[in-house]
Amino acid sequence: MTVTGESDETLMGRYGRGDAAAFELLYRRHEMRIWRYLVRNVGNRATADELMQEVWFAVARDAARYEPTARFTTWLFTIAHNRMIDSIRTSRRQLSLDTLGYESESVVGQLTADPCSGPLAAAVARDQAGALLHALERLPVEQREAFLLQVEGDLSVEEIAAVTDSSFETTKSRLRYARTKLRELLKEHA
Amino acid sequence: MNEIPPNQDEADEVDNRYRRESALDPSRPSESVRRAVLEHATQLAAERTAKSGPAQLGAGRPAANPRWWRPTVFGTLAAAALAGLLIIPRFLAPDAPLFGALPTAPVQPNAAATAASQAEIREQAPDAMAGARRQSPPPAEEGALKPRTSSRNEATVADSAAEIGAKNSPAKVQRMTNAQSTAAGGGSEADARRAQTGGATGIAASPPQSAAPMAQSAAPAAQSPAPTAPPAAPAVQSVAPAALSAARTTPPARLADPAAEVRRAAEIGAVPELQTLLGRQGDIDARDESGRTALMLATLHGQARAVDMLLAHGADPNAADAQGVTPLQAAIAGDRPAIAAALRRAGAR
Repeated sequence: MTVTGESDETLMGRYGRGDAAAFELLYRRHEMRIWRYLVRNVGNRATADELMQEVWFAVARDAARYEPTARFTTWLFTIAHNRMIDSIRTSRRQLSLDTLGYESESVVGQLTADPCSGPLAAAVARDQAGALLHALERLPVEQREAFLLQVEGDLSVEEIAAVTDSSFETTKSRLRYARTKLRELLKEHA
Repeated sequence: MNEIPPNQDEADEVDNRYRRESALDPSRPSESVRRAVLEHATQLAAERTAKSGPAQLGAGRPAANPRWWRPTVFGTLAAAALAGLLIIPRFLAPDAPLFGALPTAPVQPNAAATAASQAEIREQAPDAMAGARRQSPPPAEEGALKPRTSSRNEATVADSAAEIGAKNSPAKVQRMTNAQSTAAGGGSEADARRAQTGGATGIAASPPQSAAPMAQSAAPAAQSPAPTAPPAAPAVQSVAPAALSAARTTPPARLADPAAEVRRAAEIGAVPELQTLLGRQGDIDARDESGRTALMLATLHGQARAVDMLLAHGADPNAADAQGVTPLQAAIAGDRPAIAAALRRAGAR
């Protein structure tokens, strides 16, 4: 029986009962979303790798106690957020535009275009993707995180507020400012 | 997404562009991370399977699952009592001779069929009972009648029925012994023949010691009437309800850790019990192995009244679990607005 149609919560239940294949499916389903959330927030691949491992280790460890009273993605991104904050506090790293700049340049440089498109389209796409990542980097940390939680985690405003320990209105404002600033920055680039 | 930003079209445009261009980003977690995560998960899964294997085989371990042991125990006892109600009257007959080996026992048409009157008879004629026991079959044959643990309750019912039947008629003893044999997982035909030869032997073949310990402890009312039971009571009808009510009123086994009791009561929303426990419990914010407080468990399970009570008793509304998840986060994630509001009123952030 295929498991591709099963919900995240069902897969977690199966893994909690010892089905390793269910975990692998869950991991592959959410791997890139968590990765992008982490790497675009911390701006460092090595740190993002460490956090990635910690997050999924925590998911595996707590699977037996997981209770589907909340959406799996909310739970997953809550773990990711908390691990990220712990990591930042532990290393006393201050997320700022300066520290993000170098790493993100390398990320931008690795962007590739759709292989089906021609060289010109590839160059345009690369340039546009670079502009977007640059714009994202230039957002304040809280706005960037709120935006990433919404676009990567599909979380509602209230869920983001809960995950980031912020009020509903504050979160709503962060999202509004994030989009406004992204739009402005992209216009500048254009 | 779920909340309408100032300009939905522009927001959609930004989001769509992010998703479109994000797909072009080849950045990925390193292969070593992926491998480590999957290996770790597989190892944990194997450990869980190894742990849960015996539990799945052992269906008779209700206490292993704290959620189900109560319904399992009470359900089994209720089923046993119901079976007693249905089976015992079939072996009662007005012409049934009284227990032959008890010359001094009073003639009681109905009460003779009950465990209560049986105990009374034993008390009134201890010597006769002792004599009857002396006629017991050898231990090996007794063992054949003892119920196996897997059918403990059914065997207990059959044991009682056989005792009762022995006091009525040899023909009924045969039927009872068959039932007993079935419940006991296969009694010998010799036992049946022996039971058919006389009531005293029938009693001896199923001595009181063969009764299941669970029934003895969980339904004391079935035996306790012995010293005080009124002899004229319609005992057959009273035995099973007594056992049933005893089962209902039997307090559940207490957890060793009082803080665990508080968490358990909070989790299932047992508000009266929680109130009692909170009067005695020292640390209301004691945590389980996952770092979850009683308040967190009540929140996760949507027990709004338990949440209110815990907050009223000073539970910390910001006590996060081992993953750093706070009760408010859990309430919001679990779509429990009433609990989230209560937590906010209590100062949750």
